[in-house]
Amino acid sequence: MRSLLRTKAWITPFLALFVALPASARQGDEDEGSSDASSEDSEDEDEEGAERWFAVVGGDVHDGFGGVLRGATLLAKNGKINEIGYDLYLPEGTDELDATGYQIWPGLVSVTSSGLFGGTSSLEDTVDPFGSSMILALGGGVTSAVQSDQAAKLKRGEIKGVVMRSNVFASLSYSNSDPRSKAALEEKFKNAAAYRRKYERWQVKVKKDKELKEPSKKGVDSTTLDVLLGRTRGKFSADSRTDLLGIARLAQKYGFRPVIEGCTEGWTVADELGRAGAFVIMTPRDRRTKSEELARDGGSSIENAAILHRAGVQVAIVPATTSVSLGGITGRDIMHLPVEAGFAIRGGLPEQAALEAITLVPARLMGVDHRIGSLEVGKDCDLIITDGDVLHYQTFVQWAVVEGKVAYDKEEELFFAHIRPRPEAALAPEVKVDPGETLEKEPVEDEEPTDEVSDEDEDEDEEKPDNDPDDEDPDDSDESR
Amino acid sequence: MNPTLCFLALAATASSALPATSSRGLLAIRVDRAETVAHGTLEHAVILIENGKIVMIGEDLPIERGIPILDIPEGWIAVPGLVNCYSRVGMDGDGPGDSQPQLLASAALYPAAEAYAKILEAGITTLGLYPPGNGIPGQAVAVRPMGETAESMIVADSVYLKIILSASKASKKRLHSGFQKLDEYLEKEAKNREKWEDAQEKKKKKKKSSKKKDDDEDDEKKDDEKKKNGDDGSEKDDDEKKDDKKDDEDDVYVPLELSPELKAFKDLRDGSLEALVSISSSADYLHFLDALGEEEITWSLRIPLTRDIDIFMVAEKIGEEGCRVVVEPELTLQPGTMRQRNIVAELARAGAKPVLIPRSDDLDSQKHWMRDTGELVAAGLDWELALRAMTLEPAELMGLADRLGSLEEGKDANLLFLNGNLFEPGTTIEGVMLEGEFVYGEVNQ
Repeated sequence: MRSLLRTKAWITPFLALFVALPASARQGDEDEGSSDASSEDSEDEDEEGAERWFAVVGGDVHDGFGGVLRGATLLAKNGKINEIGYDLYLPEGTDELDATGYQIWPGLVSVTSSGLFGGTSSLEDTVDPFGSSMILALGGGVTSAVQSDQAAKLKRGEIKGVVMRSNVFASLSYSNSDPRSKAALEEKFKNAAAYRRKYERWQVKVKKDKELKEPSKKGVDSTTLDVLLGRTRGKFSADSRTDLLGIARLAQKYGFRPVIEGCTEGWTVADELGRAGAFVIMTPRDRRTKSEELARDGGSSIENAAILHRAGVQVAIVPATTSVSLGGITGRDIMHLPVEAGFAIRGGLPEQAALEAITLVPARLMGVDHRIGSLEVGKDCDLIITDGDVLHYQTFVQWAVVEGKVAYDKEEELFFAHIRPRPEAALAPEVKVDPGETLEKEPVEDEEPTDEVSDEDEDEDEEKPDNDPDDEDPDDSDESR
Repeated sequence: MNPTLCFLALAATASSALPATSSRGLLAIRVDRAETVAHGTLEHAVILIENGKIVMIGEDLPIERGIPILDIPEGWIAVPGLVNCYSRVGMDGDGPGDSQPQLLASAALYPAAEAYAKILEAGITTLGLYPPGNGIPGQAVAVRPMGETAESMIVADSVYLKIILSASKASKKRLHSGFQKLDEYLEKEAKNREKWEDAQEKKKKKKKSSKKKDDDEDDEKKDDEKKKNGDDGSEKDDDEKKDDKKDDEDDVYVPLELSPELKAFKDLRDGSLEALVSISSSADYLHFLDALGEEEITWSLRIPLTRDIDIFMVAEKIGEEGCRVVVEPELTLQPGTMRQRNIVAELARAGAKPVLIPRSDDLDSQKHWMRDTGELVAAGLDWELALRAMTLEPAELMGLADRLGSLEEGKDANLLFLNGNLFEPGTTIEGVMLEGEFVYGEVNQ
């Protein structure tokens, strides 16, 4: 946090300027000055000099594909990763975060979620970037999630650029328990496929004969057509072996990659699903009893994820509850996404695949893997900094960074600050949540002295050279693995 | 109410107990201390009142012989009459949940409401009454809580436009589309005007050319065609006459009709109408700014302080705006804890201008407004700021700072007399003066 403070000090004169402006402008009836200031203020960091640099220094950078750069520096410019490596030149004014001794991972991605963004339907107009669910999800390492078929980022304090992609999924039903809708869907795909053939033929012909009319879309279901054209992904909810087989065959027949949610019996038909190029959204702890009437394999298996992965299925993992839940048994909600992935490892899924199941695969599923899901130059600077292996149950997220801005700091939030506080934080006086409450005029209130002390202390830290012995904590990361 | 007023006036002339008015309408008030709000504290203040206005105020002013003097008891103080700019006292009914920016709260005034007498007792000499409903319910009116008719109550109409904004598509669209429609109108209007101007020019040209034509024809003077020409000429003359008549009508450009809804948005943009935007969370504030976009209007915020509101998240941003924030004197809790936060003080520190209103519209809250504000003062809010937030700041919000809100020369003589220090428990309002007349309390010489 010392590094953050440094940048704050740099920004302050600018802010002061903005504050001064409206105050003087308000005196007159004109509000030009103030509203000008407002528009600049809202994006102050992006506007100033047009370049915003952020660096995580000294941590072990896990790129998300299995590669690790120990003690490396990750530099981001305007929210995009600019460089990862050693001895990087940090431009003046870079917001530095010292992560020495910590592990850096791609921000986790939850392919389904509810309630994290506060809003319901169109997130751009409804998101609550201050909600406690968002803080808690960030505390669980989640930096992106799908809600109401919109792929969105857990940006704190900002409402712009929250939605990365809308219409991520098209929910389809293709189940033996509902033969009528099953037949209807088959029919829709048939029509859509016929249209696609016509359309493709037209595309070739129109190059020669420009007068040729586009084939009519009459009677063609737009959703299924979008699925066939790859504009959205068809998502099925299915668990039983027979349903899964049906979906795999449907997908192969019409040539699209199905997304299957649930898939508890997937391990029994893993090869077929693999051949269909299926994506699976699953919860390794989901349970389903075998139907005893049937002689063949069935029911759930702890090995499900591992078997599906071996068969070439893209496995994305979500917890049993995809919202932040403060009731019932802990460890099953979205704050424990990595723990859920840990259960798949228990069933034989390689650790790397388990990490990808909560980062890269969901990003791919959402069609935003060019922006998130791994730490690569050019991608968004969405990352989490942990005190250990991200898949280990003991690990805490220390910081979550979204687009090059610290969105969560364990020590700053009320929730987990008291559990194994960071060494440097343990030495510093307690940080009050409520710094606004102190009065400069009359130092009567009891909160005041501690606040000032903490400020001073941090300032002192700032002046010290960066080799603080407490920052090294060599044990912390290794111990947990 | 009026009878009591008359009685008071009579009593004043009959005895010296309440010399509220004299033959010259002059009255000098001597008080130990006066909080002027605008110019700090005056010790041994003399306030000279004439015809309901303060004509002079200062420390130890000499008082001309013959002017009746009212000596306020020792230890008492005088403060400006309180201004509650956000209220529905004495009004009833529900409003539409839609965009009705043209509606006026003044249309629904109910002067006979009994509540107003009590409001005066609570020291509130000016009320800002807003229209009911959700969305954009309409424009508020400033009234004095006294009078038999709506006209006699109204101090000023259209003092602000109330807008309720929440983080929803419909709510944001309501504000955004209002300005959008106004733009469409202005574009249409500009086109229409252009068309009219073109037509006007054409006519001028036509006139000139037709005159020339006539001249030429006259010059030709062909006997055979003379008759025909004559006929044509006469016809043309008729036409020209008609054209002239039309021209006379068209000379003054009549703009396209502007609907009252759009008029409100136009006033907002012009700055002749201010907006009071009601939000209930930090997210709402960001969404409001987003919905407003590039639009430059003058706005204040209304933030109902609920128990664990998260508005402190954007306190700095609001402070940078330096805007007014209408809030109740409430201490809130840090969400998820029992730790108190003084958001009003935080907002003030950040640079916003707090405007206080009673905790609710019921009479108890109105009565205990000063006491409730005292709680905030005890919790760290600057007392001068607190008093300002109950008087001058709301007056400024309603654009009435030239008449109300402080003890200054030329302003309305709205005064309160308190029997002790401000914001101290036990201090009560002993007298209320509305525009030079005592409307509550017995203040003996």
